[in-house]
Amino acid sequence: MRKVLSRRTLLRGAAGVGIGLPLLEAMLPRSASGATPSAPRRIIFVFQANGDQTKRRFIDTGETSFTFDEFLAPLEPYRKDLLLLNRLDRRYGKLPSSERADGHQQGGASLAPWKSGEGAFPIGGANRSIGYVMGPSADHEIGERVLKDNAGVSARHLVFRVNTKENNIWNVSSHAGPIGQQSPVNPEIDPYNAYTSLFAGNTSDPGAAAALAKRVAMKQSALDNAIGELGSLRAKLGAADQQRLDQHAQALRDIERSLLATTGGAACAPMPLATPKLNVFDDDKHVELGQLFFKVSAWALACDRTRSINFNWSGNTSNRVYKSLGMTEGHHDISHISDDQAFAKVRVIHKHLWQQSVTLHELLKATPDGPGGTLWDNTLVVHWNELGQGDTHSENDALVVFAGGAGGHFKMGRLLDFQNKASFADMLVSCFHYMGFEDVMSFGDPLLNSGGPLPNLKA
Amino acid sequence: MSNAEYRNTMTDLLGDSPTTQALVAAATRNFPSETESLGFRNNADYLGVSTLSAQGYVDAAEQFVDAIVANEAFLPCAPVAGAEADCARTFIDSFGKSAFRRPLTLEESSQYAAIFDKSLKAYDFDSALRATAFAFLQSPKFLYRVEFGAAPSASSSRPSAYEMANRLSYLFWQSMPDQTLFDAAESNRLSTPAEIEEQARRMLRSPKASRLLEYFDEWLGTDTLPSTFTRDVTLYPNLDPNLVSLLQQETRTFVTSVLARPEGNLSDLFTAPYTFANAELAKHYGLSGPTGSDFVKIDAPGRAGVLTQGMMLARDKPTRTSIVRRGLKLRLDVLCQLVPAPPPDVNLTLDTANTANLTQRQRLEQHRTTPSCATCHDLMDPLGVVFEGFDAVGRSRTTDEQGAAVDTSSEITRTKDANGPVSTPAQLGEVLAKSEEVRSCYVTKSFRFFYGRDADPADACSLAQLAQSFKGKAYSLSEFLIALTQTDAFLYLPVRGSESP
Repeated sequence: MRKVLSRRTLLRGAAGVGIGLPLLEAMLPRSASGATPSAPRRIIFVFQANGDQTKRRFIDTGETSFTFDEFLAPLEPYRKDLLLLNRLDRRYGKLPSSERADGHQQGGASLAPWKSGEGAFPIGGANRSIGYVMGPSADHEIGERVLKDNAGVSARHLVFRVNTKENNIWNVSSHAGPIGQQSPVNPEIDPYNAYTSLFAGNTSDPGAAAALAKRVAMKQSALDNAIGELGSLRAKLGAADQQRLDQHAQALRDIERSLLATTGGAACAPMPLATPKLNVFDDDKHVELGQLFFKVSAWALACDRTRSINFNWSGNTSNRVYKSLGMTEGHHDISHISDDQAFAKVRVIHKHLWQQSVTLHELLKATPDGPGGTLWDNTLVVHWNELGQGDTHSENDALVVFAGGAGGHFKMGRLLDFQNKASFADMLVSCFHYMGFEDVMSFGDPLLNSGGPLPNLKA
Repeated sequence: MSNAEYRNTMTDLLGDSPTTQALVAAATRNFPSETESLGFRNNADYLGVSTLSAQGYVDAAEQFVDAIVANEAFLPCAPVAGAEADCARTFIDSFGKSAFRRPLTLEESSQYAAIFDKSLKAYDFDSALRATAFAFLQSPKFLYRVEFGAAPSASSSRPSAYEMANRLSYLFWQSMPDQTLFDAAESNRLSTPAEIEEQARRMLRSPKASRLLEYFDEWLGTDTLPSTFTRDVTLYPNLDPNLVSLLQQETRTFVTSVLARPEGNLSDLFTAPYTFANAELAKHYGLSGPTGSDFVKIDAPGRAGVLTQGMMLARDKPTRTSIVRRGLKLRLDVLCQLVPAPPPDVNLTLDTANTANLTQRQRLEQHRTTPSCATCHDLMDPLGVVFEGFDAVGRSRTTDEQGAAVDTSSEITRTKDANGPVSTPAQLGEVLAKSEEVRSCYVTKSFRFFYGRDADPADACSLAQLAQSFKGKAYSLSEFLIALTQTDAFLYLPVRGSESP
């Protein structure tokens, strides 16, 4: 039976503010039979920084009898929809020392498990400057595959970061590739801008629609022209320059694709984000900014603008001062200290961030999606960190938390201890499989992979 | 183009005025910060146009088209019904030349006329003009500086006259050429080193040359202060709410004064026992003299140029100075050395039981008794210790956070020619200013920023030329900027055509 949804289905937002989320059944992708709408699978990576205290993650580590210790306790209400992947190894030690960056830098690029290039930073390499990783991240590659298969999806991936203006090897987690090329994807740090880019084109006002159509025509004409010029220039330039022009042309095609999506009528017009606007660089507003990004994310998924999101509570190596938690020192500075007092602070910060991250869970649960379901049913949230333990900067002992219904792909409600025998990159392979790309048997440098997905995850 | 170059270019394209500056600032507010590389944000290798930055160019251009078509310099004609294309052609050729920073080819002129015609069929003259201007602003020929070299002569590997005009304007002004440069290019008066030097000297005297302070902002790290400076209000109560901006202005004013004097040199940069402050900043430092809001030169005994300016010292922690970070900055950006990563999974655990009552200096000394720690910390701590006489917001002090008398005596090691005992910032400044390693670092840093790329092996001759010129002009900073226009790297093209966004 087809479920009729009101155009402004009210739902309780994570911040307790009512937000409107439209969902028209017409938007839903059809299954192969063409009869019943079926919800697509989505993935959201959620990052928090600086490693934790590994021995205080769990009190009981039984596969189903697990119990959370202090800082993971906010996850308890979701336990039946969680798959806790403990002690994964990033294996960066296997890379030649000249081709890996330091723990924060290389770990911050864990979603892109490739060797690092050179030439960008004088700190963190061995005997040369170190560069960004030379290959794409999973959020980008998954999004790329989704675009190829789904003409209606406009954005390959959305990359969001809370705070921090500058973009460098210490705070960028998404990478475009291709393999062999340094190509970090600088994140959107302004949720209002993200909202406008995704949804400003949606209107049900005929006057506004006509003006919009004129603007879109202007843009399309200019973008076509620019793509043509890039093609002409390309022929006259060397290989490195050609790659850059190709990237530019791709970016312009991305915008054309999103122009088409946003002019699809009033099908998906979320309510504007609350005003007045927050200062997006203000660390003291990180909770509110994160929740705005969560709203934009939920809308973008519900409207099927994208199926892959890379959200970051901060850059890796974040030195945010959590004043609201009574902290006076930066997070990264605290995480370098190995005494009990510092660990207590680290646990407070992590608990705080987990409390914020689970508001995304609530938002997904409250957002209708598919026949009778919610986004939570059809989404995998992948919580991750650039380090295992903070003070030792361990590249092993990674904890990754899978959360969500994830289309029933995984057997949830479990804690699996991999004892550092499986790799973080194997976990990414599992993400590809979940998204339907089961041909992927390895992602990233072969040294960082075991040659398949993590064992024993599937339902 | 980097964001700064885009903003400057757009400002000059629209006609510099407070209104234009406000419009450009607002329209480009959401541009993502560029990918950082080797301390700068303008390395062409890392300035690829991503979806987010391309979206930024689209959104910004929409806000500029009205101002462009309202500009009589670009549109000196009125459309005649049925012959709108004639007036449009005038616009395309004049605006196109400014946007592409060279005359359009006939083919390009027709290409943009076609965009106009198509839009005119659907809408009106003004709309079609706006659509045409918008297309120019999305063009890679606007967004990149593409160089193909002078006329197709097999022996020539020089930039064309217009390309040289662009090289000069982006070096000194971080922006498009002005009319004088266009005229010089048009009449082919940018071909000899002497002609180029003449333009360079003219440009350096222009108020627009203040835009090259971006180099010092990025090199010294003043540009990132607004997003990184945070101090605990209990330990640092009543800080001036404008402190970051004041510290940025202090360094900008100081550097401007060094550049303004032909003899102003590297030694001034690292040893000057004076600085610039207004009443507000002087009050912060506890110095007397300035009474108004203008920055004026004041004596600052015990200080050493940029090394002791607040912006340099303020890279500390929220609650205290950071010897490590202060030393790291000098090691990386004044000595141009590499600091390696700690070995994977190094045990960073210190025995903290006995450190509670130690000063930061003493704790770090204990830290360095562990060989794996000393490997890196020997590079940083001895340099940073020298600045302990200044607190985490740049004020002079005699006791540290724990009330102990500050001890700034130190011994610099692991440099090529700056090793030895030092005990004050002024002494350290003297040593650094005389160090060939530091001079060479300044040359390398300048090369990277002003040429928008890292030096490669083929640039060895240019780097040697620059080092020679720097020495020949007694390390004058302004003469060094002129010298940047006289190298092979500046005067010639690499064998293969290249472009820089």
